[in-house]
Amino acid sequence: MLASLPSALQTLANYRIHNTRASKEVVDKGKVLLDAQAASSLGDDAWAFLEQLTLAAIDVANYEVADECLRQLAAQFPGSPRVDVLSGIRMEATQPPEIALKFYDELLETDSSNAAIYKRRISVLIRIGKIEQAVTELSDYLDTFYTDVEGWVELAELYSSCNQYTSATRALSHALLLAPQNPFYVLQFAETAYTADDIPLAIKMFMLALDIIDRHASEESIPTGVSIRAWYGVKLCCRALSERSCSSASDTLLPKNLPLLDELSTERVLTAYSAAGKDNATGRELVLSWMGPSDRSGGRLHFVR
Amino acid sequence: MVNYTVGQLAYLKIFFHAAKHPHLQVNGVLLGKKVSETVEIIDAVPLLHHWTSLSPMMEIGLDLARRHAESLELQLVGYYQACERLDDTALAPVGERVASKVKEGFTHAVALVIDGDKIGSPDNAALIPYLAQSPSSSWRPYTEAGTAVPFSSGSSFSLSPPDLPARAVSLVRDQQLQRKFGDFDDHLEDVTIDWLRNKAAMSFDIQE
Repeated sequence: MLASLPSALQTLANYRIHNTRASKEVVDKGKVLLDAQAASSLGDDAWAFLEQLTLAAIDVANYEVADECLRQLAAQFPGSPRVDVLSGIRMEATQPPEIALKFYDELLETDSSNAAIYKRRISVLIRIGKIEQAVTELSDYLDTFYTDVEGWVELAELYSSCNQYTSATRALSHALLLAPQNPFYVLQFAETAYTADDIPLAIKMFMLALDIIDRHASEESIPTGVSIRAWYGVKLCCRALSERSCSSASDTLLPKNLPLLDELSTERVLTAYSAAGKDNATGRELVLSWMGPSDRSGGRLHFVR
Repeated sequence: MVNYTVGQLAYLKIFFHAAKHPHLQVNGVLLGKKVSETVEIIDAVPLLHHWTSLSPMMEIGLDLARRHAESLELQLVGYYQACERLDDTALAPVGERVASKVKEGFTHAVALVIDGDKIGSPDNAALIPYLAQSPSSSWRPYTEAGTAVPFSSGSSFSLSPPDLPARAVSLVRDQQLQRKFGDFDDHLEDVTIDWLRNKAAMSFDIQE
């Protein structure tokens, strides 16, 4: 078992770097390390490991492991705001939400600059279904901590979950200002704009997402990953634009030469399927029939009344 | 009132989808057919787990799933979803829209919401059926006449075979088949992922 420790450590470090939420794996591997008291051999990495294991253990409801990690962390860093956050999360797992909210309120009274505590508070509000209050508090929080990109994205998701798609695009535009090179935020913006029925804005953002992705890809390459999704989006917008008149609440101009763009998006999506090989023949055929001239029994799905 | 039966493929796919993303909302559609007075829910196609409140990929996925159903000589007969929070069993505005869309093509459409508190117990279907009078009316949890609860004996809803929850729990717990399971969101990032059939996750020995 000891021979597998280095590889377990490596895996856990990888999860930390990539922010992978593989809680069960983390607890399986981490518990072995904890029992072997291997943390002391990690040096400063030990604390990051214990924090990771605490969160994963709470995730899979292994509170014994979580409490042991917390005990070690609290002994090393008494009064640390970062450990306070972990203690709060542990509290959220088994205590009523009111208790956790009270705990966070008290922490904020002594130190109002702890961004993570604000965010925990907001996440508790979301969990108990107080979405309106969560939106208000998150907006206030972002007034102070404007550069928190994830905060803006979360705000957009809250708005979307309440059918307020125009407010969602407004929140996402802050995320785009702060992280203009992140294709995922652009893609989320595009899909939100489409849902808000601003098709010209949606197609523009789908194409912007592709532009950002393509900066890192060679020309004529096979679309992979997030670009397949974006090409599907372009295709869907082209189709909407050819079927009905689409207004734009944001006064976005349409791209030139839509028919060509329509053709290109079809070709790009199908290329991804062709490259995937013969095993995928039936899936490709289905997509091909969907791509064909508009014979859609389905039609548009209105999320906004 | 027609009866509804949920078959093995459909139930396991719903279960695997929810088990793969325990901290996210997931959704998909149900495939089946109506045989005399019974709607047989035979299969399911998993759609989203990323941005479940946004419509474009849902629109495409729904369209492709419908075509896939037709190729199997089935039709879309319903919608399913699991919520992010365990205690949340609301169909949510988006779920209602999608379910209504399905209902436009199939009068007896049903929406199944996973009961997060009960899922994982081997003797409970953990599914809450929602029905609507018409595509434009609102969706309500179905309550049986009398005292029976849905999926109990005597209910209009049943699992076929009845021990599906126990099977699902053991396939997730012992074989972790949910890890081999993929939905349309996964497929959009890697088109080799077989979201329509999910053969890899369904490769256990099926006993009919």
